[in-house]
Amino acid sequence: MTWTWLPRRAGAREAGTGHDLDGEGPGTERPGQETGGGLPADASGRSRGPRLRRAVAAGAAVALVLGGCGFLHAAHQLRSAESARNRALTDTEATSRVAGDIGNALARVFSYTPDGTAAAERSARTVLDGRAARQYATLFDRVREDLTAQRVTLSTRAVRTGVVELEGDRARLLVFLDQTSRRGEGAATVAAAQLTVTARLEDDRWRIVDIKAR
Amino acid sequence: MDRPVRRLTASRFRTPYAPALALALVAGGLAAWAGQDWYSAAHDDRAAYAVQRDEALAAGEQAVQNLNTLDHRDLDQGLDLWEASTTGELHEQLGSGRADFAERVREAKTVSTARVLSGAVTELDERAGRARVLVALRVTVRASDGTRTDKDSRMLGELTRTDGRWKLSALGQAPVGGAPAG
Repeated sequence: MTWTWLPRRAGAREAGTGHDLDGEGPGTERPGQETGGGLPADASGRSRGPRLRRAVAAGAAVALVLGGCGFLHAAHQLRSAESARNRALTDTEATSRVAGDIGNALARVFSYTPDGTAAAERSARTVLDGRAARQYATLFDRVREDLTAQRVTLSTRAVRTGVVELEGDRARLLVFLDQTSRRGEGAATVAAAQLTVTARLEDDRWRIVDIKAR
Repeated sequence: MDRPVRRLTASRFRTPYAPALALALVAGGLAAWAGQDWYSAAHDDRAAYAVQRDEALAAGEQAVQNLNTLDHRDLDQGLDLWEASTTGELHEQLGSGRADFAERVREAKTVSTARVLSGAVTELDERAGRARVLVALRVTVRASDGTRTDKDSRMLGELTRTDGRWKLSALGQAPVGGAPAG
């Protein structure tokens, strides 16, 4: 729109100056004749041009602003799409970090010897929080004495860790665990466990806030 | 007489245009910037990768569920679905073992239904069209005498993109007590 209007404006100025000179000169000399035919034409020539141009310019500006807003909205939609917000695998560094941290944390918290549940519980205090910490405390209060009496050894290993969701300071992971347990001098038995773990990044450390057995 | 008129007309033409031009420039600038912003968002590699990841996971979970679901009364449909969900070597294995397997299930009269508890993509090579998934699954088997048994299993699947769709090219249980990997 603006392209077609700019050259016309340049031309209109030349014509306008000529017309104005013309209109003002004879208008003073012959008021009766010229005001009758000249004034309406003059008035419309003066007002329609700028008014139309102004309207077109305003329309173009509005269209541009609206278009810009449309683009911004579309860009926002794309960025805030659920798949784009989830950084699992797209941010490889953060993904492998949370997977490694959580795998190690689970291994430490669920590994103990008959004499040393203290180490596991100490680890639990640093890596567990919220509901997970409460669940763990309840579980240990119940089994602590039995563990010592039956001389149970448990060692846990994260076999596979997958990050389901990683968004901001929250992550959800699926972890496959192997748990090797032994009573006294008996044979070791291996059990498989599948957990969904919710973790939160706090002071640059991933802490487990919820554990669900699958 | 000439000069004031010219000045008058010149200023009359200029005054509305200075703000209008500025406004047009600002509006144009905004539109250009917004358009460029949208373009970069629309052509973001990460976003495209994230979409592939989610597609692979959805297809992987569905395929794993399909391959653990089978009704002896509706064998053909079930096994067709198995073949439709797979590609490559796994697809060939299922195809060649189909008759024997169908016979066994027909005799055992079992109905298996699977439910995906959770799944995650662990690897995704967008260009090669390959992905690996972990799936935690609960399979319910109803035997001919009506007894039901639930079994939780953890599966490792490999997906290959064929004709724009992700299909399972390998599937197995995650070994228990084996060497750690990935």
